[in-house]
Amino acid sequence: MMGRLLEMDSLQVWYGDLQALYGVTLQLDEGRVLALIGANGAGKSTLLSAVCGLLEGEERTRGAIRLAGAEVLGRPAEALAHEGVALVPEGRMLFPSLSVEENLRMGMLTRRAGHWTLARVYELFPVLQEFRERPATSLSGGQQQMVSIGRALLSNPRLLLCDEISLGLAPVIVRQIYQSLEQVRAQGMSIVLVEQDVQRACQAADHVCCLLKGRVTLQGAADAFDHAQIAQAYFGH
Amino acid sequence: MDWIETIINGVLLGALYGLLGLGLALVFGVMRVVNLAHGEFIVMAAYAGALLAALMPGVNPLLWVLPVAVLAFGAGYVLQAVLVNRTVKSGDPLTPLLLTFGLAVVLRNLMVEVFGTDPRALDGGAFTRAGVDFLGLRIGLFPLAVLVLAAVMFAALQWLLARTEWGRIVRATSDNARVVRLMGVRPNRVYNTVMGLALAFAAVAGVLLALRSSFTPYSGVERLLIAFEVVILGGLGSFWGAFAGGIALGVAQLVGQKLDSNAAALYAHLLFFVVLVIRPTGLAGRSS
Repeated sequence: MMGRLLEMDSLQVWYGDLQALYGVTLQLDEGRVLALIGANGAGKSTLLSAVCGLLEGEERTRGAIRLAGAEVLGRPAEALAHEGVALVPEGRMLFPSLSVEENLRMGMLTRRAGHWTLARVYELFPVLQEFRERPATSLSGGQQQMVSIGRALLSNPRLLLCDEISLGLAPVIVRQIYQSLEQVRAQGMSIVLVEQDVQRACQAADHVCCLLKGRVTLQGAADAFDHAQIAQAYFGH
Repeated sequence: MDWIETIINGVLLGALYGLLGLGLALVFGVMRVVNLAHGEFIVMAAYAGALLAALMPGVNPLLWVLPVAVLAFGAGYVLQAVLVNRTVKSGDPLTPLLLTFGLAVVLRNLMVEVFGTDPRALDGGAFTRAGVDFLGLRIGLFPLAVLVLAAVMFAALQWLLARTEWGRIVRATSDNARVVRLMGVRPNRVYNTVMGLALAFAAVAGVLLALRSSFTPYSGVERLLIAFEVVILGGLGSFWGAFAGGIALGVAQLVGQKLDSNAAALYAHLLFFVVLVIRPTGLAGRSS
C-alpha cells in the first residue's frame, strides 16, 4: 500500500496585490510521478517554490501543503531539504566556483541515508565521473543538467521536484535525461515534473495537472486525456 | 646594499599589510560587503592586546595574538548575526556600507571614551628588536616571523576554502545564497563564521602592527586605508593578490621613506593610484 506523500489543499499565493495561485489542490502518492504543465506565468514555479520552501516571506499564502502528513507550508528551504524535499532548479543553478564533484557533494550536506551515493550517481551519468575535476559550468548544457539532477539525488530526497529540465536542450539530450529519470523512478522516487513539453511530460508521468493563470484546469491520469482536452486546458480556449 | 635591505624590509612590512587586508578581502569576496569598521576592529585588537599585557606584565605580548584572535572571532560572529545579516538581506549594497560606517564611528568614540587619545604601543621585548646579519644585511627577526606567519595564514585560508567541506559551502554560498538553502545550508550561519574569521585575521594583524608602531583610537582610518589599498591592488576577492598587494605597498612605503623621509606614505598611495589607473582590476584581477 503506497502512502500519500504530498497533499496540497487549496493553496493560494499572492505577490503583493497580485494573486499567483487561486486555490490549487493536488495529491501525489509515494513512488508516483506528477507532471505539472501550463504556459508561462501559469503559476508552476510559484507552486514548486511553495513546496520546497523558497517563498521569501514577502508573499502571502493560504491553504496547506503536507509532506507525509506534516504541514510544510511556510517552513524554510533549508529545513525542508533535511526533511527530504529536493529541487532541480530551472536553469540548473550550478555553483560556478565549484568543480563537478564539489557541486554533487553539496547535495550530500543533508546527510540523509538512502540509495543514492556518489558512485551510483556516476553510474547513472558516467560522463560526470570523467569530468569530475572540471569547473561545473564548463560542461555542456545537458551535462550541467545531469550535475543538477545528481546533486538533488545525493540528498536522498523523498520528493524530487524538477523545474523545466528539458529547457534549452537538444532533443537527443532531453531523451537521455528522461531515460535517466526513468531509472531514478525505478528506485521508488516520487517526482513532480514541471515541463513545457506536454507530450514528453505526459509520457513520463502517472498523473498530469494543468495550470492556467493560477488555477487547475485539468487533473487526472496522464493517459486519460486526448490532445484537444489538454490544449483546451493549456490555452483556455 | 642599503637598497636591498630597504626592499627586504619593505617586503617584511608588506606581509603585515597583506594580513591587514585579508579579512576585508574575505568578507567582500563571500558576501559583497565592504566592512568600513575593519580598521576599528584592528585597533580594538591592539587595545585588547595592550590590556592583556597590562594585566599580565611578565608574559610576552606576542602570545596574546591567539586569545585576541579568538575574541575577535566571537565578536565578528555576533556582529554578523545581530547586525550585518539584516542589512545583507536588503539586497542594497549601500545598506551594509552605511551600517559599518556608523559602527566605525561608534567604536572609535567608544575607544576614545575608554582608553583616551594618548598614543600607545605594545612592547614585545627583546625579540621584536633582535636581528640577524645575513650577507652583510641586517634583517629583523620579528618582521621575518611576521612574514612567515602571514604566509601560513594566507595558505591556511586558501586550504580551508579549497579543500574542506566548510570551504565548499562558503564558495557555494558566495555563488548563490538562495540555491545553497536547497541543500540544507543556512547562508546567515555561513556569513557569521566568515565575518568571525575575517575579524580574527584582522585581530592578528592588529596586535602584530601594535608591536611595530604606536596607535590611538583614530588609527583605524589609516589601517582601513591600507587594508583597502591592499585589497584593491591585489584584485577584489583574490587572496594571494592581497598578499602581493600588501608587499607592493610595503616596499613602496619604505623606498619612499628612503627617498624622502617625510613622505613615506605618499609613495605607497601614489603606487596605489598608478596601479588603479593602469590596471583597475588589480594585480591578480581579471581584466574585463
